[in-house]
Amino acid sequence: MGKVKLKYFSRIRETIGKTSELVEIKSTNIQDLIEELQAMGEQYSVLKGRDFAVYSAVDQNIVTDVKTSIEGATEIAFFPPMTGG
Amino acid sequence: MLNKIIVAVQKSDFDLNSELETLKLKTEKAGAVVIFVGKVRDLEDDNLRYLEIESFEDLAKSQIKEICDDAANKWDLEFILVKHRFGRLKINDNIVLVITSSKHRKNAYEASEFIMEYLKSNVPFWKKEVADKTQKWVENS
Repeated sequence: MGKVKLKYFSRIRETIGKTSELVEIKSTNIQDLIEELQAMGEQYSVLKGRDFAVYSAVDQNIVTDVKTSIEGATEIAFFPPMTGG
Repeated sequence: MLNKIIVAVQKSDFDLNSELETLKLKTEKAGAVVIFVGKVRDLEDDNLRYLEIESFEDLAKSQIKEICDDAANKWDLEFILVKHRFGRLKINDNIVLVITSSKHRKNAYEASEFIMEYLKSNVPFWKKEVADKTQKWVENS
């Protein structure tokens, strides 16, 4: 796959301890990427969504299916349920 | 319709009077203007020190724009404005402004509620309440 910019927001940012990072990845969908990131440290288990739902956006498009392809993506964001308004 | 939609995601406050003047410059066909302002409120069982609103700015703006386009397709509207703030806000500070305008009031009322419902759970903002005793991320009820 290559290098992608991963962005984290809210509770996920706090748990992982970073707002973003550039990572070399092999995965081709969101589900596999979350598994792959587990090797980087236990803090990445937050992405598994056990405590709250985890949403993602691929190149600024919110995706609902974890099987969505990320091939060719340059930016992938992870965040908890949104609470605007 | 497209030139009558204004969307902003910003740190600074908004000024209601100047937004209403903008509306008047954009359209003379509107007979009804519905204004919704969401503001920071104190907590029931703790004293709020501040509310921190985090945003994914570019995506938030495109998501809001999308819902405004949807509203414009569903209702006959003359003007839509949505401004949503982020950053550290105190009690009574403004959070969000939604102005919808139409020839008659029904469309403006319905579109306003539609936009606010969507904003609550589909636009990437997250609120953290920092109070005297606790601090926690707000969850949708």
